[in-house]
Amino acid sequence: MRFASIDELEHALQAADYLPDRGLSTALFLALTLEKPLLLEGEAGVGKTEAAKAIARATDSRLIRLQCYEGLDVAHAVYEWNYPRQLLHIRAAQEGTVSEDELFGPEFLIRRPLLEAIESDEPVVLLIDEIDRADEEFEAFLLEVLSDFQITVPELGTIRAHRRPTVILTSNRTRELHDALKRRALFHWIGHPSIDREIEIVRLRVPGIPERLAAEAAAFVRELRGLELAKPPGVAETIDWAMALNALGHKEIDAEVVQQTLGSVLKYREDIELVRDETLSRLVEDASAASVR
Amino acid sequence: MASGDAITRHVVTFGRVLREAGLEIGPGRVADALRALAAVDLTRQEDVYYALRQTFVSRQDELDLFDRAFGAWFLRAPVLAPVRAQPAAQLARAGETAVDRLRPRDAEEEPGGEPLELGASPYELLRDKDFAELTGDELRRVRELMERIARQRPHRSSRRRSADRRGDRLDLRRLIRHSLRTGGDPVDRPLRARKEVPRKLVLLCDVSGSMDNYARALILFLHAVVGSGRGVEAFAFGTRLSRLTPDLATRDPEAALAKCTEAVVDWGSGTRIGASLREFNDVYGRRALSRGAVVVIVSDGWERDDPDLVGREMAKLARAAYAVVWVNPLKGNPDYQPLAGGMRAALPFVDRFVAGHNLRSLEELATVLAGIERRHAA
Repeated sequence: MRFASIDELEHALQAADYLPDRGLSTALFLALTLEKPLLLEGEAGVGKTEAAKAIARATDSRLIRLQCYEGLDVAHAVYEWNYPRQLLHIRAAQEGTVSEDELFGPEFLIRRPLLEAIESDEPVVLLIDEIDRADEEFEAFLLEVLSDFQITVPELGTIRAHRRPTVILTSNRTRELHDALKRRALFHWIGHPSIDREIEIVRLRVPGIPERLAAEAAAFVRELRGLELAKPPGVAETIDWAMALNALGHKEIDAEVVQQTLGSVLKYREDIELVRDETLSRLVEDASAASVR
Repeated sequence: MASGDAITRHVVTFGRVLREAGLEIGPGRVADALRALAAVDLTRQEDVYYALRQTFVSRQDELDLFDRAFGAWFLRAPVLAPVRAQPAAQLARAGETAVDRLRPRDAEEEPGGEPLELGASPYELLRDKDFAELTGDELRRVRELMERIARQRPHRSSRRRSADRRGDRLDLRRLIRHSLRTGGDPVDRPLRARKEVPRKLVLLCDVSGSMDNYARALILFLHAVVGSGRGVEAFAFGTRLSRLTPDLATRDPEAALAKCTEAVVDWGSGTRIGASLREFNDVYGRRALSRGAVVVIVSDGWERDDPDLVGREMAKLARAAYAVVWVNPLKGNPDYQPLAGGMRAALPFVDRFVAGHNLRSLEELATVLAGIERRHAA
């Protein structure tokens, strides 16, 4: 699915409950229009994966996700033969009547995300999540797939994509990616959203949340990001926390409420310890001041 | 509105400006940028900015440079001079630096009466000689030996398997093929085994004044290790931290040491181990660079600031890392006791504590690295 302009894509994303900033909508628009993979990087929790899900919803596409990890191989990323079925098939047939061609045919093939995305007849958004965690050998293989959009299964031959999937790659930069892969992709760095946008996001994702609570929660998280934390909270944490506060029936935040619910914002013990007592009270004060403006 | 030709010229020239500024811009990127501009509304400056940025830039650390170039080129903003570290003046004031000592010393400095023990080969002597006492000539020979040592790397087993007669898993694809001939009965059992791949290795080397005597030799070791293959990251620290990997991979080690020493050492101000570790944990640890890695810290443990910070940051580091090795050249002295505050605070989080004052101790280090296992509690 193509969009005539960035504005049009933004409307579609908003209709899919996603509020991108202009940079991200431009990136997604270009990925669709130029049919190039899009590499998204940014601090944890800024919504890289969420962006892929949103573009799938906005374009009425199926989302196929490949989660990368160290040691990810072809059997888990592309295809694997269904060995139990093959064995049963040999057993069930008359001795000598099963040929190798039959045994290694499409009905015995288990399709993993990459093959599924290539073979699909419906529009697909292929999310290759945390590519930096896969081995470099796998990255080189992926590069081939992304240049030709075809996959070769030795027993079956080459399978070509009928239509190119929209490809979104995410990376947490645990290592540098191959230059060749970067050359092939558009690149967008997602930063933390502005305070106004974050409030908008919270109000969109937590229906019925009091305006004041949304503003205070967003402002408080913003204060937290200014501290030296092991893991600064992302937008996902702001949403989780706002949900928790809203579910508990709070209308605004105070030191006690924050103390009780801090676990949904900060995920490390030393971060929670850092934000205690005076620090916490000060942050709450600053946040309510900032949210009134 | 500019005509198509004018835009093309504009973008091609802008690409050249960026290339000169150090970005990797090839014809492919320029073509992408032109296609991207054709797709967006050229009257919206924000869209033009992102279209160019997303096609020309591929790394976060290039964003700043791009922004400056974009400002100068398209917005006609005055160009700000890039921030530069203070140059040679500081070095000169400090007198002899670790870099100076890297250079071969004059012949007359060669100790005339080198202790010659009967039966000991020159290699044996060199092996046990304290790095602080090496002459330039010896340093060159040491460098060759180091390359041999550095090739030993810690390994982890990969999830990937390949055919192996002594493997521990059935090779099902081959099993099926073989079973065809025997009517579905798996008569022989082809096996697969996990492959061994080098484990990530992170080196953090103290290059501050108190380590001066050892830095010149240990930087050669870092250079040799970085040259030993992928998955090695090296950093230098003094009062700050600086990533050495790109320099060590391309430059000669002397130039790399010169550059990093200038960047991380404030002369006469001591070492900030805790602050440097915090910088490492915050910037690189957060990107999981240390996760599952063997982290080697080379330092004498003299902390200028609060030793407690060293302890806290070591705890974080040890949690992410597979194992932490501390190399302290002072440990080569039999009378040495780890009394320095920073060292004492760090030790509880260290898996292996080794010397590193001569070649023999580096050989030991290599053996430790090759066989290391996680010992501390996760």
